[in-house]
Amino acid sequence: MTHGLVQQTVGVVGAGTMGAGIAITVARAGHRTILVDLDDARLQDGLDRVIRFLNRSVELGKLEPERRHGALAGLSGATALDALGDCDVVIEAVYEDLALKAETFGRLSGICRRDAVFHTNTSTLSVTAIAAGATWPERVVGTHYCNPAPLMKLVEVARARQTGEEAYQQTLRFLESLGKICATVQDTPGFLVNRFLIPFENDCIRALEAGVATAASIDRAVELGLRYPMGPFRLLDIVGLDIHRAVSLALYEQLRDPRLAPPPLVDRMIAAGELGRKTGSGFYTYDTAGMFGG
Amino acid sequence: MMTPEPRRIVGPVAVLGFGTMGGGIAQLYAQAGFVVVVLEVSEELLDRGRDRVDAFLQDGIRRGKVSEESREATLGRIRGTTDPAELAGADLVIEAVAEELDAKLSALALAADVVGEGAIIGTNTSSLSVTELANGVPEPARFAGLHFFNPAQLMPLVEVVRALQTADETVASLIDVSHRIGKEPVEVADRPGFLVNSLLIPYLNQVIQSYDEGLSSAEDLDLAVELGLGYPMGPLKLLDLIGLDVHLHAAEAAYSQTRRPEFAPPPLLRKMVAAGYLGKKTGRGFRTGAEP
Repeated sequence: MTHGLVQQTVGVVGAGTMGAGIAITVARAGHRTILVDLDDARLQDGLDRVIRFLNRSVELGKLEPERRHGALAGLSGATALDALGDCDVVIEAVYEDLALKAETFGRLSGICRRDAVFHTNTSTLSVTAIAAGATWPERVVGTHYCNPAPLMKLVEVARARQTGEEAYQQTLRFLESLGKICATVQDTPGFLVNRFLIPFENDCIRALEAGVATAASIDRAVELGLRYPMGPFRLLDIVGLDIHRAVSLALYEQLRDPRLAPPPLVDRMIAAGELGRKTGSGFYTYDTAGMFGG
Repeated sequence: MMTPEPRRIVGPVAVLGFGTMGGGIAQLYAQAGFVVVVLEVSEELLDRGRDRVDAFLQDGIRRGKVSEESREATLGRIRGTTDPAELAGADLVIEAVAEELDAKLSALALAADVVGEGAIIGTNTSSLSVTELANGVPEPARFAGLHFFNPAQLMPLVEVVRALQTADETVASLIDVSHRIGKEPVEVADRPGFLVNSLLIPYLNQVIQSYDEGLSSAEDLDLAVELGLGYPMGPLKLLDLIGLDVHLHAAEAAYSQTRRPEFAPPPLLRKMVAAGYLGKKTGRGFRTGAEP
């Protein structure tokens, strides 16, 4: 059963990494969960991911078998937004594109109940601009989950200029039912976490470009001197240089702060196919056994 | 590039200044078995420095980290003096006096006179140019930065800072001796803030500016950084702990050397320091006392 909140019907739009991760979080909390993706293969892949995660959680002793049963019984998939007509909450997690997100809310406005709450899981776009696509923008709230969504406690909650107090309060209660911890932030590019992380990482890349120290030394200095859980280059290799560049550039275009501009080394590395772990090479070199060089 | 053989430092180690950092550094070397001579300007400051080291060791005993024998042995290897002549014979000098150029230059000149040109000299400056300090001693090739983090006894990192004049052998020797006292040295170039502070200062400035612009409450800001990034402490709590005046000084030093806007102290920081809201030590800061 959910933490003091009655079971709700929740739609998650977009079955990629974030959408599937959010669906896991929602289903695990005991809500009826409808995962939607217009692409059938991607939907199946997303549903499989939810099921695998919940099974693994039971194996690891982190989830009661009955709760998995409840989660899976309440889980369904659909390839059209029409399936979301009864939802109390709809969480949008489609591709990070303003026009697409705004249009999605426009279409949902014609399908969903007037009293539904609408969440957008954007990381770099304006919640206000996304909400403008909805018929009732006062019902739209930004909820930025950290990756991986089922494991990370934090959700940044950003009110659009149009967001009403009721939708905001309902959002806090809903996220609490998921076991999340909310930090309320302004609707500003990158919100809080990325707004601090991205320029810091770019500063580290520029220090490397300038020859202040090696990547391994910078990682060690950050881990030992600042006690961050992971040095910047190990983290960038996990995130992927292409993703870092896209987030960085999106924030730079909105804020024009030079610390947000992706340093030239990032472009060079992407051109060379050195995207990080996923291509076997980034700031470090990887094989199946893990890191062997630097 | 060929890595030169380090010269093996055997001590005695001369530490200039018996403040928090000087005492911590003296304790580290003494605990590792080096004979340490600490130079101060008065008996009173020597007593205070020794008491501080003793208190640190006593606390270690209470927490089961230090034995009584090791406390006595460590203190027994630390000798305080007000006479620069007693530094004679040291093969490593570590300067840890007040963070002011003139104070550091005059302490370094005194020590360099006594120890001769063979000794390696390191400075624990955090904000001054190591290259400029190196120029103040004869044979600057044996000079480098040796930047410890507070508390030096506990923080594992040491930045070995290469000045323009620093010889490869000097860097190698300082890296070697740092390993031998149980530290993790990283070699970095002599740039304002070296590595760690050059990354930390812009981040903390941005946090203060964003907070001033109403990004979130102080509590949510720290919470988001702790949970979202896994940092051990939110930045506003960290600022209260460091001291807002200390951060202001570091930011001003880095800005005056770079003129880069990310190092410029944000207006709210100056206001809070002007009001005496320095953090923990004055009972009021970002997360201490009432929210600003």
